[in-house]
Amino acid sequence: MIHTLTIEVNGVSRTAEVRWDEVLLDTLRDRLYLTGAKRGCDEGECGACTVLVDGAPVHSCIFPAMAAAGAEVRTVEGLAGEDGELSDLQRAFVDAAAVQCGFCTPGFLMTLTALLESREPASDREVDEAVAGNICRCTGYSAIRAAVRSVVRGSET
Amino acid sequence: MKFLAPTTLGEALGMLSDGGDDLRVLAGGTDVMVQRMTGQLPRSESLLYIGGIDNLSGVSRHDGVIRIGALTTHRDLRRHPVITTHLPSFAEAAATVGGWQTQAVGTIGGNLCNASPAADLAPPVLAADAAFVVSGKSGSARIPAHRFFVDRRRTALLPGQILLGIECPAPPAATWESYLKVGRRSAMEVALVGLAARFSVERSRVETARLALCSVAPTPRRLAHAEAALVGSALDDEAVTVAERRSMDEVDPIDDQRATASYRRMLVRRLIRKAARHSLEIR
Repeated sequence: MIHTLTIEVNGVSRTAEVRWDEVLLDTLRDRLYLTGAKRGCDEGECGACTVLVDGAPVHSCIFPAMAAAGAEVRTVEGLAGEDGELSDLQRAFVDAAAVQCGFCTPGFLMTLTALLESREPASDREVDEAVAGNICRCTGYSAIRAAVRSVVRGSET
Repeated sequence: MKFLAPTTLGEALGMLSDGGDDLRVLAGGTDVMVQRMTGQLPRSESLLYIGGIDNLSGVSRHDGVIRIGALTTHRDLRRHPVITTHLPSFAEAAATVGGWQTQAVGTIGGNLCNASPAADLAPPVLAADAAFVVSGKSGSARIPAHRFFVDRRRTALLPGQILLGIECPAPPAATWESYLKVGRRSAMEVALVGLAARFSVERSRVETARLALCSVAPTPRRLAHAEAALVGSALDDEAVTVAERRSMDEVDPIDDQRATASYRRMLVRRLIRKAARHSLEIR
């Protein structure tokens, strides 16, 4: 059965015809052409598909699209300003070279955006815990940590 | 096949009794959606999404009873002051389930109803002497925790019933409890063995003891004989040794891709000893 789904994506109300049991990642990538969220493991383990639903990071590859009805969804496409200016976190990722192959980057950015918007991480351990559900197979974790640290430091000054 | 999203419990129960076997109750989806993709659940089932029903989430404490709504997420559990104060083993267990993405949407009701032998919330629930509050078209019922898990991935829920939440008697003041879990790494890991231990102490003697484990049998279970070995003791080496020995007759772990049965048996003994030691260090 086909359902009509209305969600707010990056601040814009969007409507799509979706399969009844389709996952949010399919809706975003294949119907709304927002391909920033990546399909990695496809079973809610690797975090490459992470988007924010009402502010909380979710694995969109296993999140039922219809469960997002009426929700606010944020994807990596929504992080930069309208003029294309990168968010502080995105800029920090670039400056710290926290990107290697880049496949995991949208997922890390979304989880860490949720972290930075909810509270300031007091330690690397808090950062590590927040991204336990995101895997970087290039293993570039220390650069990712450094990027977060620089954002936290920047907000203090 | 369709996606049903009732907004009231009455509506949901009506849909469930009409839809029969072809309807799967869905909350956060972190188990159900994966099991559909991997063929463990048939994709022909329609989905009954209960996440839009009010009043099924949240934690409250009233008249010595702590109520946890079925839709309470792992993230809420690990941060709620009633839980971290009175039922810390629930918060500890919830913190070990997947990463943030899983904890943000995965619910205690889903973790329990999925009835995995490795369900992390099951040992704390068993150790807390909780009751499962369920509702169907013909009314509500309470199922004691030790009767809820019937077999691997099978619960005492009848067709047409939905879990509303669990109720736990608030533990007495001098109670220590903890959830100890062993995995191959510390994050995103399925328990090789998980132990919820709870000791209530009166004048330096254990008055009640609870040892509840997951990943040691087809269902999560309490070890009544091992518990009895600790009652009346000061958790001294002798009592713990007896409890360890008895525990070996009360678990029935399997070999699988994660660990061997014999390794799991060793973990059961080590975790019982570790729990006893930790509880003494706190006091």
